[in-house]
Amino acid sequence: MRFLRKRSNDGKKSPALPDQLSPDKVLEQYKDRTISTNLEENIKLINSLLEANPDLVTRRFHVFGKYPAVMFYFSNMVDQTMINFDILKPFIYMPPHLEGRKIGDGQLKNILINETIIHSGARLQSNIVRVIDAILEADSVVLIEGVDEAFLFSTRNVESRAVGQPQTEQVIRGPREGFVESLSTNTALMRYRLKTPSFQIRNMVIGKYTKSNISICYIKGIANPDLVKEVENRLSKIKIDGVLDTGYLEQFIEDNHISPFPQVLYTERPDKAVAQLLEGRVAILMDGSPFALIVPTVFTQFYQVTEDYYERPVMGSFIRLSRLLALIFALIVPSLYVAVISFNPELLPTEFAVAVAGGRASVPYPTVVEVFMMETAMEVLREATVRLPKQVGGALSIVGVLIIGQAAVAAGFASPITVVVIALTTIGSFATPAYNAALALRLLRFFLIIMAGIFGLYGVMIGLILISNHLLSLRSFGIPYMSPIAPGNLQGVKDTLIRAPLWWMKKRPESSQPVNEDRVSGQTVQATKEPPDNPLGPKRSN
Amino acid sequence: MDNTRKITVIQATAVLISTIIGVGILALPRFAVQTAETGAPLVTLLGILVASAGLWLITVLGVRFPSKTIVQYSEEIIGKWLARFGSLLIIGFFAILTSLAAREFGEVVVTTVLRNTPLEVTVIVMLLLAAVSSRHGLETFVYIHYFYLPLILAPALMIVVLSLKNAELLNLLPVMGNEHKELLGGVLTIAALFQGSFIISIVIPHMRRPGQAYKASFMGMSVAGVLYFLIVVATVAVFGPEEIKRLLWPTLELAKTTSLPANILERLDAAFLAVWVTAVFTTLYSSYFLTIHCMSKLFRLRDHKLFSFFVMPFVFFYCDGAAKHSGTLPNHSDCRTDRSDCDHWLSVSAVGGFHHTKKKGYT
Repeated sequence: MRFLRKRSNDGKKSPALPDQLSPDKVLEQYKDRTISTNLEENIKLINSLLEANPDLVTRRFHVFGKYPAVMFYFSNMVDQTMINFDILKPFIYMPPHLEGRKIGDGQLKNILINETIIHSGARLQSNIVRVIDAILEADSVVLIEGVDEAFLFSTRNVESRAVGQPQTEQVIRGPREGFVESLSTNTALMRYRLKTPSFQIRNMVIGKYTKSNISICYIKGIANPDLVKEVENRLSKIKIDGVLDTGYLEQFIEDNHISPFPQVLYTERPDKAVAQLLEGRVAILMDGSPFALIVPTVFTQFYQVTEDYYERPVMGSFIRLSRLLALIFALIVPSLYVAVISFNPELLPTEFAVAVAGGRASVPYPTVVEVFMMETAMEVLREATVRLPKQVGGALSIVGVLIIGQAAVAAGFASPITVVVIALTTIGSFATPAYNAALALRLLRFFLIIMAGIFGLYGVMIGLILISNHLLSLRSFGIPYMSPIAPGNLQGVKDTLIRAPLWWMKKRPESSQPVNEDRVSGQTVQATKEPPDNPLGPKRSN
Repeated sequence: MDNTRKITVIQATAVLISTIIGVGILALPRFAVQTAETGAPLVTLLGILVASAGLWLITVLGVRFPSKTIVQYSEEIIGKWLARFGSLLIIGFFAILTSLAAREFGEVVVTTVLRNTPLEVTVIVMLLLAAVSSRHGLETFVYIHYFYLPLILAPALMIVVLSLKNAELLNLLPVMGNEHKELLGGVLTIAALFQGSFIISIVIPHMRRPGQAYKASFMGMSVAGVLYFLIVVATVAVFGPEEIKRLLWPTLELAKTTSLPANILERLDAAFLAVWVTAVFTTLYSSYFLTIHCMSKLFRLRDHKLFSFFVMPFVFFYCDGAAKHSGTLPNHSDCRTDRSDCDHWLSVSAVGGFHHTKKKGYT
């Protein structure tokens, strides 16, 4: 069949029919075609390109009662009221100030755009491909007989979720707003927090078919211009049929594609995104995704949360330290347990060692097998809980708790201490704020358990050294992943293990190589050191 | 800014410290005691001084030729072919040093923790770790050393502090020691434990300000030296010289005698050994890295990745062969003879270097 078709095409030498072309090529053949002054010809062309779309509305009318015109838009994607009152009405009714005036041949276009149309997002376009793109973007298009340009109106009104509490990054203290799927809303959420002309956004379209709008946000004068250029450069190299979430972009722009560790931070919180911009980083937002990507990213960012900065420094540091501890728990506790129990039980205090041995008396497997099985079960349980609808999830977690905790021990399948260890690990991995970093740790935990099973503590150390060496060799947009710890940076270290008071962190962290470093004014720093005035002190006797 | 010059003084210092402190620390008190009994701390101090002199020489040369490694500038100093022969000696020496360190630590692990594991397995794991990590560039090499520094210093200091409980001042007296039959040999053996400091010669060409290498050398040597000194003092104070002579790895025994307050862990030796893997790794990594880095410079290659796995079998088989040859007891005297060859060559090049630079009127 294909053979026949090909031959017939060769014979006639006519351009291929649209349905034989790959979708992105269809519009390409009309690349240089402009709007014709013949209305019917235009209507035919547009209808032929967008034929099988029942939601395409073609509304014919007469401008000022004389000139035949047509309007195209996709219903359900546009603001219908706006179309009725702001677009159709001024086209059809001649405004009073024009009455009696004679409209010449070439004047109609100018009179309409300058004197009649009330809609602020109106513009003219003569290229037919751009016009089609505009219709697909949910703009409305008006074509008039005898006018060689089309009127485009921004009328997009796609149903979107209301701005609500971010699901993945909840805080006790701090803004309750999260990004939504609509890019314009997200940009607005950031812009009202950053009232400076230096907050700049560069737009980009990625995806052959999805034509997703991407915004690269940064603060000019803080973000390193080379970084912005590199982000644009890496993004512009992405040629793919579709981008459905910023996760697609992440996989193309990260430095090391096979590393278990994420090298790009994502966030659902506008306040966090703005904070990152203020540290000289670049945020990448996408229409259709509630997650902003932040680059460059260093490891410490995965356990920092915005609340650390909203709480007072001592408390912030305390919460952060406990989170860091949880992260370490999630990674090494099971392997340490395996190593100590099977290779070096003499490390444990004698009473405890006896208790452990008693608990393990009925368990037939070596510790490594036992821990491995329990961890796998826990992993399955966790995955099931994440995907299940909420109504079933509760039931599942009860079953899981019973099976993992109580029944496994009673059945002689696992020792009680193993259950404690597994519980600690699981809770630890839940306490890691970044889901993708927690995933990496979950994966590497299995590697460490195996190493511990083979070589004991020696193996755990070898595994940890391998992991740390890998971390130290990673780069995110040229920034060492473990900075500001290695290579050390005095300003940056104030925001790693602890969260130093804001006035200690006078400079932006060097790890993103910002252009402008000063963060807190010197006077403010000075003011914090002076004793406070006490206008309400004990009453002085006059 | 020059992109290849990124290493700061602190980073260079960290490289020095973590390279110097290695598996040698486990046997160090025995070496010191064997020659001078209670004079062990004194011998250690003398050893540190000797090693410092060597390090100073290398640093002076490195600073004189701030953009070249020893392989490159030795060609300028003593002539192409002699220098290439010398560089081959260095490469061979550090390859052997790598294998000896790997083997000694393998012995420690096999004897104390993994009693049923063959020596070859523990050694090859260690060497693989070094080989895999040596595929990274010098920048990552420095980060790795810098990052592990606290892990290397903290446990050693902790052991020293915790062992004070059992210390007996009398064990340290007389400070001068009773007999000095092999004092020079002992001093050289201890100095040989510092041979990792040679690593500074490949670090200097990448330092942000090569002139500050003196500072790095001084600080690195002081920290490592003080730690070694403290370990010797603590071990001798706890066990006394006669007991130490009978211990294979006195520092490890020292770890056994200590325990944490509140009985958190009953014994510390296995934990100590586990953390000590880091120190051994950094030392191995440095000598391995030095070997392949010098090789790539000798063969005029831009990248050293090519050699990272190529060298490994040689190092491993040397190590395996050495193990069969000299029985199970690791012997540092092999290193010492090699070291003297190397030192000899070094001093030739150093003297030549001074001569050369004077002739040309450098400062």
